[in-house]
Amino acid sequence: MITVISYCLFALLVMGATMVKRRVPRQLMLLAASYLFYSTWGLAFLAILVSSSLFNFFYGEFLKRGPSLGRLAGGVAANVLLMAFFKGTHLAIFVNSHAMDVLRGIAMPLGISFWTFQALSYLFDIYRQEELDPTPVEFCLYMAFWPTVVMGPICRLGNMLPQFREVRVVSSENVLIGSKRILMGLVMKLGISQILAVGLVAGTGVSAAFDQQSVPYGGLDVWFLAIGYGLQLFFDFAGYSHIVIGAARLFGFELAENFNSPFIASTPSEFWTRWHMTLTSWIRDYVFVPMATLRRDVWWRYAALLFSMTLFGLWHGAKATFILWGVYEGALLVIHRLVQQFRRNRSVNLPVPLDGALSWLVTFLAVSLGWIFFRSRDLGQAMNMLGSTLSPGSYLHPVLPASYFFLVSAVFIAYIAHKTILAPTLARLKEAMTPAASQRLAEFGLTGQFVTVVSLIPLIFVLFLSILHNGSESVTPFVYALF
Amino acid sequence: MTETEQAQALLNYLSSNVLRRPGIKLTADSSLVASGLIDSFALVDVLTKLEEVSEMRIPAGKVRPKDMDTVNLMLAMAKRVGKPRQQK
Repeated sequence: MITVISYCLFALLVMGATMVKRRVPRQLMLLAASYLFYSTWGLAFLAILVSSSLFNFFYGEFLKRGPSLGRLAGGVAANVLLMAFFKGTHLAIFVNSHAMDVLRGIAMPLGISFWTFQALSYLFDIYRQEELDPTPVEFCLYMAFWPTVVMGPICRLGNMLPQFREVRVVSSENVLIGSKRILMGLVMKLGISQILAVGLVAGTGVSAAFDQQSVPYGGLDVWFLAIGYGLQLFFDFAGYSHIVIGAARLFGFELAENFNSPFIASTPSEFWTRWHMTLTSWIRDYVFVPMATLRRDVWWRYAALLFSMTLFGLWHGAKATFILWGVYEGALLVIHRLVQQFRRNRSVNLPVPLDGALSWLVTFLAVSLGWIFFRSRDLGQAMNMLGSTLSPGSYLHPVLPASYFFLVSAVFIAYIAHKTILAPTLARLKEAMTPAASQRLAEFGLTGQFVTVVSLIPLIFVLFLSILHNGSESVTPFVYALF
Repeated sequence: MTETEQAQALLNYLSSNVLRRPGIKLTADSSLVASGLIDSFALVDVLTKLEEVSEMRIPAGKVRPKDMDTVNLMLAMAKRVGKPRQQK
């Protein structure tokens, strides 16, 4: 009952804030709405978020008075310790004592990895003497902003501050774009990601394959599980990102994008500029570049790459499989660099179409294989599965049902066809449209807004089918809610 | 070197050593990082070149990738945070 009242009050505050012209009352209403929203997961969590926000605001003021490396290190250490306490105790790996059992029982504040990284970026920016002058209310709002507080996208204060200071417009364009993004997100999550997780026939999807493995998998099974999980994770998190970006857009806020067609990347480094972009750019700006520029030697740059990607893995949790996933992805980036260097030195050139296709295929398969580390229950399962890919005989005896192979192939082919044929064709058509042709179409009522509204119909239809298909099956939680 | 010469030296270096896609015409205001023309690994090479042409030492930790997005922004950053190199 309290939760229902909280959500109603939250909706009233968010909508009310769009009508208030004066800055401080508007910001206070948005902050109250954000805290109300976050408090539905527990008041203790809210207390931690508020404490962290106030600490970082006042530490930022302290850092502004003397932006030294020592002061920055103090602020970073405090934030990392807070995050490590909750994440480390939650998923402790190496220590196995009674004390750790007690600590493991402590719940992790929702979104702590996301808002702590936002706080850290603020401290780094202050150290770099960026001109940021938030008020306490603005900083608390930046940390707790309702669309981003749970699972990102990880924002930067420099992008959010102007939006918090100006009146946001609820226009028909914003409502249309926002609604479309929300619908797309729901289709990606409730439709595609859910069906990959559960399977065409309940219990034959990715979740059961990893969590209830009873027989050793063959090489083909492992490749399809890796690809299937990569797709599930993408549709889950990109779907979530669409929903929150769309929800913020309804009220005139524009958030940073998190995904940009990652599976069409043709090199590992390109993949990491397209996947969870707000986190990868955070790691690039605040870890890789500062570390890599400390020394000019090439080996140091490779070490910085490996360290950055290991940290990227560790961000997901203090678990051996996440750390190994980060190391693996870092190693891929280093290998890619070495191959690139070798080809440049030896002038190894393939015909462009063959080079592009080969590069894409190798990147896709190599990145996909890494998901085995990310998703496995433990290190033993990951090693067994990876071992199967190296055993040629095991490829002859797949154990997963035919429906699973069909499902993953269908989703994969549809995704690639959409990205390489449908989307570019639609973009070309849009470009080819002359103003005169647009005007002529508008005379028949075919305006841009009309086309957007019509494009919502197939989305609603697919969403309806997804809900029907899911039936009584409970929807799998968002994967990134764990982090 | 004048500022124009510094910009030209950087543009030549970028075109011949760094760009992911060949045959692209660059100006001192062309976006490099945001447009994906160069990646973060190459940023360090560009930074080394920037130090060479500007004759400045740019402290690690003060480099913001957004300041490396165009040649003009790079030169402005070198001026702002760079320290004159000690002559050997």
